[in-house]
Amino acid sequence: MKLTWALLVVCATAVCWHSAATAAQSNIKLELPAIETSQYHRPYVAVWVENAQQQPVKLIALWVEKPDWLKDLRRFWRKIGRSNTALVDAVSGATQKPGSYTLQWDAKDDSGAALSAGRYTLFVEAAREQGGRSLVKHEFNLPAQGAVIDIAAEGELGAVKATIR
Amino acid sequence: MIKTAAVLLSTLLVSSSISAHTLWLVPSHYVLSKHDSWVSVDASAANMTFVPDKGIGLTSLKLYLPDGKVQDVTSVYQGKRKSMADVQLAGDGTYKLEMANPLRFFTSYELNGERKRLMANKQERTAQLPAGATKVETTQMRSRNFAYITVNSPTDTVVKLQGAGLEISSNLHPADVVAEESLELVFNLDGKPRAGVKGVLSYEGELYRNDAGRVEFETGADGRFSFTPQTAGRYLVEASYAAETASTLADKVRESVTYTFEVALP
Repeated sequence: MKLTWALLVVCATAVCWHSAATAAQSNIKLELPAIETSQYHRPYVAVWVENAQQQPVKLIALWVEKPDWLKDLRRFWRKIGRSNTALVDAVSGATQKPGSYTLQWDAKDDSGAALSAGRYTLFVEAAREQGGRSLVKHEFNLPAQGAVIDIAAEGELGAVKATIR
Repeated sequence: MIKTAAVLLSTLLVSSSISAHTLWLVPSHYVLSKHDSWVSVDASAANMTFVPDKGIGLTSLKLYLPDGKVQDVTSVYQGKRKSMADVQLAGDGTYKLEMANPLRFFTSYELNGERKRLMANKQERTAQLPAGATKVETTQMRSRNFAYITVNSPTDTVVKLQGAGLEISSNLHPADVVAEESLELVFNLDGKPRAGVKGVLSYEGELYRNDAGRVEFETGADGRFSFTPQTAGRYLVEASYAAETASTLADKVRESVTYTFEVALP
């Protein structure tokens, strides 16, 4: 709900409309696998980018419900969640059911500034109540010019495929 | 009654021998992401790491709040195998749970071939020692058992050295210890890195593996013990320092600490 609202605001502003129209967007496609179990809860998921110093620069998506379990996204919690409440509030949206999802990223950081050239890492972390936890990552360079990231499915996460522009 | 006294004595003397029961505090959570969360703390004196053996009195258990203020912990239960305490953590920051015995003085002596001891320092002992006491020696003892819990953003106030007795500092905040990354613990006596601190590192699950995987260490001049935990989980460091002293109150000093912490998944 929150996510939808945020998107509406973003699309309504002329500046963002302009940048969306001119700047190429990176596509990050991720899958949440259907998991057969007696007690299925939707996973908490975080997608973010860290720089070469392992500092987070951009939180792309965060699908969560209650604050109690945010800490179970262990790396996300250490790197972003525990100290940047404002960002968590701004980005977080509802948890999602199994399926395929495509996220967009404009290669800018959390404050909207373009990221400098260099080495970065895309992280996707998922943790499910009464289930497992998966963390996958892949390095890429900026400017990327269409670099393709392909991460095999693992545990709580299906395949992650991204085209970074 | 005699048994109780013996147990008490053995916990008091825990620092003197690594093989004696080790007293530890293990909070149900080391990291939390919600205000006003409750944490249940297990405390026991045991040989095997985190396998409870003997419940202990928790009257001296304290909770240090992120701003440095201290609270008594009153919601406690002493069981046969372990004791438990409940604490509620209101706001953000790093908390310290500590059960500390303040400085105590024991004077031991021999009388008619029998070892005896009394609770007195060097100045007090003169009046209390029976005539004919030999091999008189006074030991100054202090012990601390502690653990940190962090709610949301970590803070440093309760992690800082106080400068008295044996304390541990580190290159990492307790909430930042991660498997496969090097952790450096520095053992300080009265605020300065200390050589000759002896200790043992262990981690949970000893009951379910043949090789306990304990690491024994002794600090050099930099007071340092470094290691890289290979697996995530709960760890225990027990350490003690013993030396002769030239103080007016004691002939020997003995300091001991136990510290439990969580190693997070990378």
